[in-house]
Amino acid sequence: MATATPTLRPLACWKSILRHSRQQKAITRSLTTLRAPERTAAPASRNSLPPVWQKLKVYPPPPSAAAASREPIKDFTNDQLRILDPTRARTNLFSKGNPEGAKVGDILLVRLKDGEPFAGVCINIRRRGVDTGILLRNQLTRVGVEMWYKIYSPNVEGIEVVQRKEKRARRARLTYMRKPKHDRGSVENIVYQYQRMKAGLRSKEDSNLGGKKKGKGRK
Amino acid sequence: MIQLKTMLNCIDNSGAAVVECARVMKMKRHARIGDRIIVVVQKQRNFSESGPGASIATSAANKVRRGDIRHAVVVRTKKKWQRPDGSVVKFDDNACVLINKAGEPIGTRLNGVVGTELRKMKWSKILSLAPMHL
Repeated sequence: MATATPTLRPLACWKSILRHSRQQKAITRSLTTLRAPERTAAPASRNSLPPVWQKLKVYPPPPSAAAASREPIKDFTNDQLRILDPTRARTNLFSKGNPEGAKVGDILLVRLKDGEPFAGVCINIRRRGVDTGILLRNQLTRVGVEMWYKIYSPNVEGIEVVQRKEKRARRARLTYMRKPKHDRGSVENIVYQYQRMKAGLRSKEDSNLGGKKKGKGRK
Repeated sequence: MIQLKTMLNCIDNSGAAVVECARVMKMKRHARIGDRIIVVVQKQRNFSESGPGASIATSAANKVRRGDIRHAVVVRTKKKWQRPDGSVVKFDDNACVLINKAGEPIGTRLNGVVGTELRKMKWSKILSLAPMHL
């Protein structure tokens, strides 16, 4: 009988079902002359069939990512910035709207986790979300050196403004500073003075506090 | 990007001032910081200004002469080089240090900053001679 057919093989099952229904049809056709066909017979037989179609579970489509966020790249950038710059100090330092922020032409000092700090005139700020970088130029042993640093890099410990440019630079990129006529030369002396001044301020603070924070100084 | 005919500054006290690249060794591309090249000495240090008495002293001090073919290591390049941490370094000139065939520097002193990539390429002797590396 059709009820005994295993449900695991639907195609073979269908074959037997069809055969069964064909036989039933033949029976009903032959019996039409004897009595009226029962209305309830056909649905009853259908219900007794194995419920193959009920076994297939239909899942709803996954929620659309496009609907969840209108600008996924912007959201991702913000997520990354939240991780890399939790205090938003770097973002503020290099944001365009901040009048106190670093601008091109300023002398910046980048302290690194491994290696010596690098100072130089900032001649370019490349604002690209997480990939934001600054180009610093300096002269070491009378050889011009330029370094790009990513401001959100985990390797960058801190960025300090050593000296601001008196007048706002009228260019976005001060690449003319590579020419000998405009070259600022070595900024070593300015950075040295700044560090000494800062150390002086710190020691004064320490003496005011009773030398409590002596161990917390910069390396 | 140091290749055939590139003129480099020589920053050691071997006596060469300007050298010309004649071949980049062990590769078919241009040389970068830390790569070994073969150079021809084009200009000697303190050659023109020395008098008749000094020329003897200079030639004695200079270990290499004009026209010599020597091996050298590139220590600075004008071409930007991106480090694994994302920072990029670029110098204003191309410079090299002369070495002998065993890989030891010919000069005894270096004047000028050199790239830190030398450490990766196992040129620690040159790094220790250099006054500064970046």
